[in-house]
Amino acid sequence: MTSSRNGANSAFRAARAVLLVLTAFVIIMPLMVMASTAFKVDGEIYDFPMSVIPKVPTLENFSKLLDRFPLYFWNSLKLTTIIVIVQLLTATTGAYAFSKLKWRGRDLVFMLYVVSIMIPIQAIIIPQFIIVRNLGLYDTHRALILTGAFTAFGTFLIKQFFMTIPDSYVEAAHIDGAGEFSIFFRLMLPLAKPVIATQIIFSFRFFWNDFFAPLIYITNQGLKTLPLGMADFATETYTYVGPQMAASFISIIPVMVIFLSAQKYFVEGVAASGVKG
Amino acid sequence: MKRLVRTPWPVVAAFILPSLLGFALFVVAPIAMAFAISLTNFSGGPRFRFVGLANYLLAFSNDKFLGALATTFIFTSWTVALQLVLGLAFALLLNDKLLGRNFFRGVIFLPNVLSSVAVSLAFMLILDPKRGPLNMVIRSLGIRAPLWLGSEKSSLATIILVTVWQSFGYYMVLFLGGLQTISRSLYEAAAIDGAGSVRRFLSITLPGLSPIMFYSITIAIIRAFQVFDQIYIMTGGQAGGGPAGSTSVLVFDIYKNGFSLFRFGYAAAESVTLLAIVLMVTLIQQRGQKKWVNYDVV
Repeated sequence: MTSSRNGANSAFRAARAVLLVLTAFVIIMPLMVMASTAFKVDGEIYDFPMSVIPKVPTLENFSKLLDRFPLYFWNSLKLTTIIVIVQLLTATTGAYAFSKLKWRGRDLVFMLYVVSIMIPIQAIIIPQFIIVRNLGLYDTHRALILTGAFTAFGTFLIKQFFMTIPDSYVEAAHIDGAGEFSIFFRLMLPLAKPVIATQIIFSFRFFWNDFFAPLIYITNQGLKTLPLGMADFATETYTYVGPQMAASFISIIPVMVIFLSAQKYFVEGVAASGVKG
Repeated sequence: MKRLVRTPWPVVAAFILPSLLGFALFVVAPIAMAFAISLTNFSGGPRFRFVGLANYLLAFSNDKFLGALATTFIFTSWTVALQLVLGLAFALLLNDKLLGRNFFRGVIFLPNVLSSVAVSLAFMLILDPKRGPLNMVIRSLGIRAPLWLGSEKSSLATIILVTVWQSFGYYMVLFLGGLQTISRSLYEAAAIDGAGSVRRFLSITLPGLSPIMFYSITIAIIRAFQVFDQIYIMTGGQAGGGPAGSTSVLVFDIYKNGFSLFRFGYAAAESVTLLAIVLMVTLIQQRGQKKWVNYDVV
């Protein structure tokens, strides 16, 4: 019996290894195609069989991007950085108010925040657009910063972490004469570093890739972000495949680098979102 | 000892207002306004009037809206099913200690963090019906190659595949987290009692995963409702929605009516319908969780 069990086991292991390698191939291949096409001359892009390493490597596709994409890249970087910082501010202060301050209506407001996590942006975009336009913010970066400033998920995430810090710490600080602001900045924030890292990474990834809000709020060429600039390729009549892949390649590099160096925070963020289930 | 004293309100205000202002102005107010606008023929200009339920009646007798609802339903069913099955399968495969475990977990999760615009552009090249590398391979095997995004028969299926490719790793990570919460001793006890692997999966793993399973289904449904980028990029941009409208889901129809045709009143009625569906899914989750989820195992 043991020998047949062993046989079945090694067959299972072999099948599992094959399946995993195949899956990894299916996931990596499209990204390889993107990266290698970015360095190919037009005539080589549709060669069959497709070459992974370009026969005549070229930077021509990247130089075709030079007129507009440096600005798009800068806009994306600037906006993402500002929104990440503003979100961190609103999420940590909100989380502190929900976890360590006592006030009437606190639990009700928190429940409303949590419910709003489920609401798709497209369900409220029409009235939100009208509000933004009436504030005179249409076609400005401020529209994206202000509509992006509030994060129900981030507030929830950090509040859950603050709850794990014993109230006795806060009380001890109060007895020592510390005010709420110094408790928040000197005690809570330093303790919350890991969850703050998770929040920063999540919100960076979201706004760096965000396409919908810029599509709605930005029309001026000079204000466009990277995803919006890339989308122009998809709707032009002639398809510039090379430059298109070069732009895509550039756009995924920052997030790839962050992912590879801080994978554990991504995984923790996903897991933390599941805990409440 | 609990601090029973209420915090002075200026202090509370200083902490809560930064997020509460954004919440009130850009989430709560729009929800209320969506209802109001849906009862008017507002199109952005100063002249508009109350039209009662006309927008809703129009929507529910309009083939485009009903078609969009059906497309959303098909898209949601397939992506939710495929993402959960693949997510669970790979979580189970990668829960054991094996060579390269972290590499495979990382690779499978990776597409989640990438721009869906960039991913969509790459797939447009790969799936090009005439010259794309995938169809070249398929044809070289002597099989008739599909048109992928180019045909109304396969465009929605193609969007589903690309979406699943990009996000099933997210559910794998959720399930991996869930598997950590199931005590090893349960499996050991079951093995001593002579329970086979199928029995162990059905009696321990699945019930132990039920809380995370329920959460995953809800998240997957809500996310499926929101699919937009892939459809905009891969099936024709602003005027798009795929060959013969085959990929026009509800959120795309809202976008098109609102921002290409400026029928704000009508698009608001569609938005309210979407809100109602989301609310229903959330309520079912809240209710069902108590009924079906098993917390005894863990």
